[in-house]
Formats: sequence, C-alpha cells, structure tokens
Amino acid sequence: MADRRANVTWSGSLIEGGGTIESVGSGAFGPLDVTWGSRAEDSDGRTSPEELIAAAHASCFSMALSHGLARGGTPADRLDTSATVTFVPGTGITKVALTVRGSVPGVDEASFVEAAQTAKEGCPVSQALAAVPEITLDAALL
Amino acid sequence: MPRIVREADISWEGTLSRGAGVVTATSSGAFDLPVTLASRIANPEGKTSPEELLAAAHASCWVTSLAGELAKAGTPPEHLDVHCTITMDEVEGRGHRIVASSLSARGTAPGADEASFAQAAEAADAGCPFSALIKASATVTVEATLEGGA
Repeated sequence: MADRRANVTWSGSLIEGGGTIESVGSGAFGPLDVTWGSRAEDSDGRTSPEELIAAAHASCFSMALSHGLARGGTPADRLDTSATVTFVPGTGITKVALTVRGSVPGVDEASFVEAAQTAKEGCPVSQALAAVPEITLDAALL
Repeated sequence: MPRIVREADISWEGTLSRGAGVVTATSSGAFDLPVTLASRIANPEGKTSPEELLAAAHASCWVTSLAGELAKAGTPPEHLDVHCTITMDEVEGRGHRIVASSLSARGTAPGADEASFAQAAEAADAGCPFSALIKASATVTVEATLEGGA
C-alpha cells in the first residue's frame, strides 16, 4: 500500500483569493500557486487541478505502457506521452486525450497500439478517471 | 460555458523498473519533475508520482470548491489549510488500484460555525469535479475543523 500526500493552503474567497500547493510528501514540488483564474482562465504560469490530473495520467499511462512493452519482450527506448484534460466549469471534467509516440525496437505498429490500449484501460489513474465521459488515445511509433 | 484545456507531457526512457521519466506541466510551465516506479510504490526519495500529483490535484480542486461554498454562505474564508492523502493498494485480481482519497481542512471563516463549516466541506466535495470522478472507484472522506470557534 502506498500513501501519497499533498498540502494546500487557501486565503480569501474563490475569485479574489488564491491558494498554494505548499508541499507534497516526497518534497518534489511546492510551493506552487493555484487560483481560480489559473484554472478557468489563463494559466499565467500557475498550475491547476486539471493540469495536475493531466500530469498524473500521462505519467501513469507511460509507466503502464513501458511495463507492458517490456513484458512483451520489446522494451521501449523512449515514450513521449501527452495528456490533455478538458474542464467545463459547471459541468466538470469532460475529456482526457492521451497521445503517445514511441521508439520501441522490434515492435510493429499494431502491437504498439494494442499495448497502448491495454495501458490506457489498466493503469490505476485511468481506472480512477473511468467516470470521465471521454478518454481518447492516439498511439503511434516514431 | 468555455472549454478549458490543460496539458502535461512526459518523456519516459527505458523499462518500468529501471527506467525513469520527467513530467512537465505544459500549459503553465509550473513544473518539470522526475518520476520513477520506486517513487510510486516504494520510498519516493524526493521524486513525485502519479498518485502524489492526484493528491495535489484533489486538494487544490476541493479547496477552491470549499472557498466558493463558504463565500456563497456569506462566510468567505480567511484561511484554509487542506491536506489530501491518496492511497494506492493492490486489489486481488486487479493489480494496483487507487482505493481512497482522504481530505481534511482546518480554517478560519468569520461568521461560520462548526456545523456550517462542515456543511460547506460536504458541499465542496459534491461540487469538486475531481471528487465526482474518483468517487466512482475510490472512497472519498472529508473532515473539516473550524479554528478559533464561531
């Protein structure tokens, strides 16, 4: 079992106030500012929950795909993954689009796409986000 | 309503157990962070993980909802201190799964009492888009403590 922690502070109201991701359990990042504006308007150099979800999903998916390719006997040299999260205020998170380009010796396009599909279905963050109405995948070899 | 898009990228090199990646906040440029398998399931050693990024996402999503709910009730917060722990566990036959997210808040909101603060915390959970998603597969718990009394 693994627990991962984050601490956030907020001062003032939603619109005029602002928050800070002060620290995380690993110490890897923080402080990072988060405001309603960074979320719903221009990010202006500040992160947002949706960007953090994109970062979590891209990294989870990449690890699952790396694992699947190695198990299939064709470990990846390199995977470049992008996750784009779409947020509609008042409605919620409506879409995650995953794009991956892989450099994988000894694998053909169809097997790579299949491995990517399996990673998309199985990775823990995909499972946690299974209620997102639309999760798309665009996978190709470099 | 406008569609808001936020993007992150990762480059991963090598296998899962011996490889490593760097995850980048592409929309904001706010971070570039190394991740490894060990940082995820063992000692993080200063590196982040998908679950830690989700903890930061959930804490920041919920705290903005909480600030909004308190303002709506006429008791905008002065200060909120929020903590989120995401738990990943091995579920029999299904591998690693994110099973829980536990949120707690301490704060000051002039005019709010313990009951209205707790009510705002519950409403924030109902209104936070990430809570809505993760509840389909994990247990979300919410705890709120007002500092300094009513």
